[in-house]
Amino acid sequence: MHIGDGQIPIEQAAVYWIAALFFIALSLRWARKEMDESKVPIFAALAAGIFAIQAMNIPIPWGTSGHMLGSVLAAIILGSPFAGILILALVLIVQGFLFGDGGISVMGANILDMGVIASFAGYYTFRAIKNSIGIGKASFIGGWVGIVIGAEAVAIELAIAGTFPLIPAMTWMGIYHAVIGVIGEGLITAIVVTSVMKTRPDLVASSSKVAVAA
Amino acid sequence: MNPQNINIIIAGAAIALLIAILAPFLASPNPDGLDKNLITLVGGGSEEHAEKIIEEKNLVGYESPFPDYSIEGMDKAGEVLAIVLGTVIMLVLGLGLSSVIKKKNEARKA
Repeated sequence: MHIGDGQIPIEQAAVYWIAALFFIALSLRWARKEMDESKVPIFAALAAGIFAIQAMNIPIPWGTSGHMLGSVLAAIILGSPFAGILILALVLIVQGFLFGDGGISVMGANILDMGVIASFAGYYTFRAIKNSIGIGKASFIGGWVGIVIGAEAVAIELAIAGTFPLIPAMTWMGIYHAVIGVIGEGLITAIVVTSVMKTRPDLVASSSKVAVAA
Repeated sequence: MNPQNINIIIAGAAIALLIAILAPFLASPNPDGLDKNLITLVGGGSEEHAEKIIEEKNLVGYESPFPDYSIEGMDKAGEVLAIVLGTVIMLVLGLGLSSVIKKKNEARKA
């Protein structure tokens, strides 16, 4: 769901860039508060792993495919949506400039959709339900919500841009990403969060909060 | 950095590189959800037509060195190399950015 150059008029793309830079600044502020010895290796591993997994498109029906975003995973493991935003910003900068995956003028929109909106929607969904249904299921649903809401944000931006008609764009972006959200985002987020929790629970920032809450 | 943290980086890098090497062989070549919408909603079912319409509006004209995770003149090997290169760059960037911020944090708290 990387938007390319030419899909959003330049002046609208500039507005999304400004919004993205605002959230990147907030993420850096998060890092200045929270980044410590234990988070450095996880941050680096997540940045590399999320880049790699985004190159792995999963086939879905309708002759279409999709990949997971990873922003909700990063947010849950590191305990803040700003972690997801910062990692996705790095991923999208490298993808856009080196691999032509996502445009340059619209990079702000891509950071906003896959980083900011997906992280916030997915992470706070996870937080809201983790104590009642458990971390594994909450990670699955959080991941699913993150990618679906992120995809709908893309549909709305491209409708404002005049590129897509709103209703078909929202319908199909929703359908495609509801499927990718199950077999990609939801499942992988849940598997990674639960397996890291089992082997090194100290690494999952969100788990300590559960212990405190319980 | 303590040995436990180095182990996390090695494990993370190993998993990421494994995915990077497998991706060109396992990834679906089908268009993603957004590209599919561009084909049906903009191109009237034609990918070429959609690309032509979008390209006319593209004022940036930036050419990336490894378009679509490929290296010119190289087939699958080039794709593997491109994604591995990107994964290594991400590891260095992620480690670099977080280490610099961590050091500043420690200096401020000390």
